[in-house]
Amino acid sequence: MKTTQIIHEDGDHQWLAIVRDPARPAHLIDTNEYLVTHGGQGMLLDPGGVEIFPAVFSAVAARFDPAAIGEVFASHQDPDVISSLALWLEFNPALRCHVSWMWSAFIPHFGGQPSNFNALPDEGATLSLAGLPLQAVPAHYLHSSGNFNLYDRQARILYSGDIGAALLPADAQGLYVEDFASHIRHAEGFHRRWMGSTEAKRSWCERVAALDIDLLCPQHGAIYRGEDVHRFIDWFDGLQIGVLRG
Amino acid sequence: MGAAAAEPAGPALDLLHIVRINEEIKRVVAVAFRINIMALNAIFLAKRAGSAARGFGVLSNELRNFSGQLRETMQSLDSLIHAAVGEVSSLLLESRYAGILSRVEVAADRGRVRSRVSAALAAREARLGAHRTRLAGLRRELRSTIDDAAQLVDLGGVLAKSAKIEAAYGAAFAGPLAQVSGEFDGIVREIHDSLGALQKSGFLRTRS
Repeated sequence: MKTTQIIHEDGDHQWLAIVRDPARPAHLIDTNEYLVTHGGQGMLLDPGGVEIFPAVFSAVAARFDPAAIGEVFASHQDPDVISSLALWLEFNPALRCHVSWMWSAFIPHFGGQPSNFNALPDEGATLSLAGLPLQAVPAHYLHSSGNFNLYDRQARILYSGDIGAALLPADAQGLYVEDFASHIRHAEGFHRRWMGSTEAKRSWCERVAALDIDLLCPQHGAIYRGEDVHRFIDWFDGLQIGVLRG
Repeated sequence: MGAAAAEPAGPALDLLHIVRINEEIKRVVAVAFRINIMALNAIFLAKRAGSAARGFGVLSNELRNFSGQLRETMQSLDSLIHAAVGEVSSLLLESRYAGILSRVEVAADRGRVRSRVSAALAAREARLGAHRTRLAGLRRELRSTIDDAAQLVDLGGVLAKSAKIEAAYGAAFAGPLAQVSGEFDGIVREIHDSLGALQKSGFLRTRS
């Protein structure tokens, strides 16, 4: 089973990180899922692949009623992001999945009816979780052509999907980045290869640098906090991307 | 040396058998089409041969009807196979999801969540049961339709053999008529063998 850790708490407004499954088969990429709760309602961010559903569900259920998860945010269309959708729908058939308009006809192949999907426009949108505003921030071409991050201004947390992701070795499995210089080596190859547009990257760096962010939470690897958030944005801004090898 | 691939079992094995049945059906449909063309040519040949080949002409016409009936039967089999593929695919998907749900661990103090997981699993199991029942019905229908086709082909065999006998009375046309009737006989045997293979299919032998 995965570990659930509270990374933000302010009354009933919480961010839970669901991370590190020791029983995960080695052939599946490790993923982080995040649950935002507010007013007794939950929004699950990138709920994960179908094969890891038991680990994610069990970890979530230990802290929160899965039937109260009424919203799912899918940063993009990849199977490790959203292929478990059909199983989450078992526990709330009215669940709403927010995803780029580009993928709103692709993701239903994983399950769901038209009423389960909210197609996000390219410029983004403000979503509401029991009155808590959550901003879908455009991150197109990084790496998916229809890609969003989710920003919680109140908690000062940015869920950055694959941006900031790192493929960590077995001996560096901490929840937070502790030493930026050694950590970023595990992120470099991933960003060079998976991120395809320098123009989109520049635009994202400008957009995100203007936000007030305490935690930058990627779908893979460790969370950037404090000074490391801007360290990461600066590093990414200067990185040559869209190449096989640097 | 690479690891040996796991042998398919259950619905996956059914799917493999269904693919083979479908290939056999396609073979029979192609052959039935050939009989139709051959019978049409044989009717013209019998007309040219005149009164000496009147019996051969009647039999050729019957063989043409036979090919039409066989094609219809094969279309029914094709529809049944399509439905079976749908049921087996749903079974594979439901089984996979049921397997994943059964791996969920819920802490003892989360009684409400635990009961929801049990309810979701029970709903999956009920759907699995419904698919299994429909699949069993399709198996029975397929067996019965293939048996009907085999009886039809036995009749086709009798027609082809009678055409061989009638060819002998074809006077100056006896040679070409014998050649055509021999071809009829060969083709009907081919269909007979294909249906025999279908009757032995592992998918149809399963009694569930």
